[in-house]
Amino acid sequence: MLEFIISNNIVCHAVEAMLFASLSCSILGVIVTQFNVSSIGFTMAHAAFAGAAIGMFLGVNATAAAVVAGILVAILLGPVAEYSRMSTDSILGVFFGMTMAIAIFFIAYMQYLGKGMSASALLFGDVVSLYREEIYALALISIISIIFVYLFYKEISSLIFNRKIAEASGISVKPLYFAILFMIAIAVSLSLNIVGGLLLFVWLVTPAATAYQFCNSLKSMFILAPAIAGVISIAGALAGLAWSVPVAPLTAIMITSVFVVAVIISPKRKISYSKGY
Amino acid sequence: MVSSGESVIRLKNIYTAYEGAEYPVIKDVSIEIKRGEFAIIGGPNGAGKTTLLETINGMLKTTHGEVTVLDMDVGSRGRDIRKKVGYVIQNFSFDPMTPFSAEEVVLMGRYGLIGPFKKPNEEDYKKVSDAMKLLRITDIAKNPIGKLSGGQQQKVLIAQCIAKDPDILLLDEPFSNLDLLTREFVSNILGDLAKSGCTIVIVSHAFDALPDTGIRIIAMNDGRIALDETCDPGEVENKIRLVSGGIPGA
Ligand SMILES: Nc1ncnc2c1ncn2[C@@H]1O[C@H](COP(=O)(O)OP(=O)(O)OP(=O)(O)O)[C@@H](O)[C@H]1O
Ligand SMILES: [Mg+2]
Repeated sequence: MLEFIISNNIVCHAVEAMLFASLSCSILGVIVTQFNVSSIGFTMAHAAFAGAAIGMFLGVNATAAAVVAGILVAILLGPVAEYSRMSTDSILGVFFGMTMAIAIFFIAYMQYLGKGMSASALLFGDVVSLYREEIYALALISIISIIFVYLFYKEISSLIFNRKIAEASGISVKPLYFAILFMIAIAVSLSLNIVGGLLLFVWLVTPAATAYQFCNSLKSMFILAPAIAGVISIAGALAGLAWSVPVAPLTAIMITSVFVVAVIISPKRKISYSKGY
Repeated sequence: MVSSGESVIRLKNIYTAYEGAEYPVIKDVSIEIKRGEFAIIGGPNGAGKTTLLETINGMLKTTHGEVTVLDMDVGSRGRDIRKKVGYVIQNFSFDPMTPFSAEEVVLMGRYGLIGPFKKPNEEDYKKVSDAMKLLRITDIAKNPIGKLSGGQQQKVLIAQCIAKDPDILLLDEPFSNLDLLTREFVSNILGDLAKSGCTIVIVSHAFDALPDTGIRIIAMNDGRIALDETCDPGEVENKIRLVSGGIPGA
């Protein structure tokens, strides 16, 4: 898509992949962090991780398997919590552990079989050996995330503020909640082999947390978080390929560094004496 | 609009149980509340007052019985009911850093009414500013909700429900964070609303500030209605005491 700017095909695809992965993850990341459902984000990421490992082991498309696993968790979460009469958090803990175990089991087994190379992409990401379709799918989910947030901004903000108050105002809370889970599941699964299962949280949580340091409204966070993530991810892709270092870990370090700087210079930590003193 | 004197809330032999609980919390309750009535629900902690309110607006499902609000069945049209019924929740606590201003929170009351895919229009903003003026909280409109005092937050939540122009207003202990003067002030606003035809149902333990109208007292105990009669504001406290005072912790 960006061939007209970047002539090198490999670099171009890497930049596209990183850009779209960062856009979708960081936009949904604002919801994840503000809605206090980080644990859901983590669990989805691990489910996708496990799905991809199984897919790779079976020799089917790892990304497709990741999407299936992520969506499966999104569907199962509510009913399992209700059926077992446990809090969603405990269920998430169980899912989290289980999916991690499955993922590690298959990755270790593949290493034993000598397929370790491809498995390491799941852990640390890989921006070079991507299918064109994966990039298109990521571009699509980025656009869908943006449209979704734009169209349902009222409902999302109200749900983030207080679920009970949102429901009492006459909003359909449950469908919205599941739509959010689905979007997270898909975005996370598609980004998995680009940024890596172990680094996915960086894209999901850190840009939103960075934006939060400067924003007093949800709207501005929805704009600033993807802007931060997008710019750093493009820079990370270009720098990583130029210096022949792994792109996703480098970018993750860059994103986190920016976060640290943001915390230090954040206006939220300064006390204003201009009023009343 | 429902015409005066008509029942806007009708509960018929209802039972409400929480998910996974063995016994229902609300047991065989039947009441009718008319348009413009000012009702106070009293009774000891755990009597089922909050549960009753959430049964009325359909946030909790009944296991038995019929709930009709504004001539709509709660089971099938709960969301339409909630668009016309304000509900001020009892226990709220907002993260000091939550990224919403008091004004945004008041506007949220209208989100269900506005409906999906639409943006708030001029009328919505007008209702918001009117409600905030009514409660005298315009000076804190731009402040982050999480950094307001408990009483200020309480007034924001009441304004939120008034901004949606409700036919019925359910308030769960709206006075618990308010000082006496503010209680009187808010009470009078609610009394005026009742006079203009909005049905007011308040769960409260504070009877020192009530508007000067006929007050319907509904006292609950252990999921049942122990007393239901209309009296003057001055008599409310004694009547409620008769029901719940003798049975601490029941
Ligand atoms: N979410 C819940 N799940 C299960 N049981 C609940 C739940 N909420 C309340 N209950 C039970 O329902 C009963 C009635 O609770 P409710 O909150 O309606 O009481 P209340 O009259 O509002 O009390 P208070 O004056 O303390 O607010 C209590 O026995 C309580 O244990
Ligand atoms: Mg209560």
